Amino acid sequence: MDPFSAGQTQEDDSAIDLTPMLDVVFIMLIFFIVTASFVKEAGIDITRPKAETADKQDKANIFIALSPNGEIWIDRKRIAPAQLRPVIEKLKAENPQGSIIIQADRESRSEQLMQVMDAARDAGITDVAIAAEGL
Amino acid sequence: MKILQQLQHEEDDGGIDLTPMLDVVFIMLIFFIVTASFLKESGFELHKPPVQQAPPTEESKSIVIKIAGDGQIFIGPRRVDIRSVRANIERLRAEQPEATVVVQADKGARNHILVGVLDAARLAGAADVSIAPLE
Repeated sequence: MDPFSAGQTQEDDSAIDLTPMLDVVFIMLIFFIVTASFVKEAGIDITRPKAETADKQDKANIFIALSPNGEIWIDRKRIAPAQLRPVIEKLKAENPQGSIIIQADRESRSEQLMQVMDAARDAGITDVAIAAEGL
Repeated sequence: MKILQQLQHEEDDGGIDLTPMLDVVFIMLIFFIVTASFLKESGFELHKPPVQQAPPTEESKSIVIKIAGDGQIFIGPRRVDIRSVRANIERLRAEQPEATVVVQADKGARNHILVGVLDAARLAGAADVSIAPLE
């Protein structure tokens, strides 16, 4: 018996051909690496204001939430207004093309909104959007 | 016994053991699946010009909408209801088509009113809407 026929009988007998599964796994791996964006969620739940002209914001990856009682949350941490700029700069260093979505609660005040927008501009981010729920 | 020997012989000969690589690939796959977050947020973009760049005195060229701390909306000297903001902006834009819209919000103004006014301005067709703090 030569080695070739031995391999043939072995394949038929017990071993499963893993190549198609490996292909699928690699393609899934590449897909998830490419789509991974490491989004920084704000960490609190808010009630979004409603707006008819709201459209999908899909390139944002820094989320800043404003709670009704005036707290500012970034990356699951409560941030003091004075700390806004360094925190945003740090997040921008991790995500150079980062854009910001401000998740402002219906009942939050515009004072915090202005603070966040000023800090974002100081940190060099011009792409700021506000979250709103479409009708 | 003969089959076992053949198996041994074949493995030594040519086949590379893929098992460790498969382990690594699977672990990477699981990591990227777990960290992937398909977070979708809707909303619209905000523009806030720097304070020194925004001359609020040039009211002839821009439509200025003021939001007081208690939620009242003023266009010029008149108090308007949130539902008639859009019609008012449309009327003013008919008079001065290239006018920009500036929304000045008091510190204490609720963000759902701000978003409502911005939404109305966008619905009225204003291309250049910016927000500013109300002194």
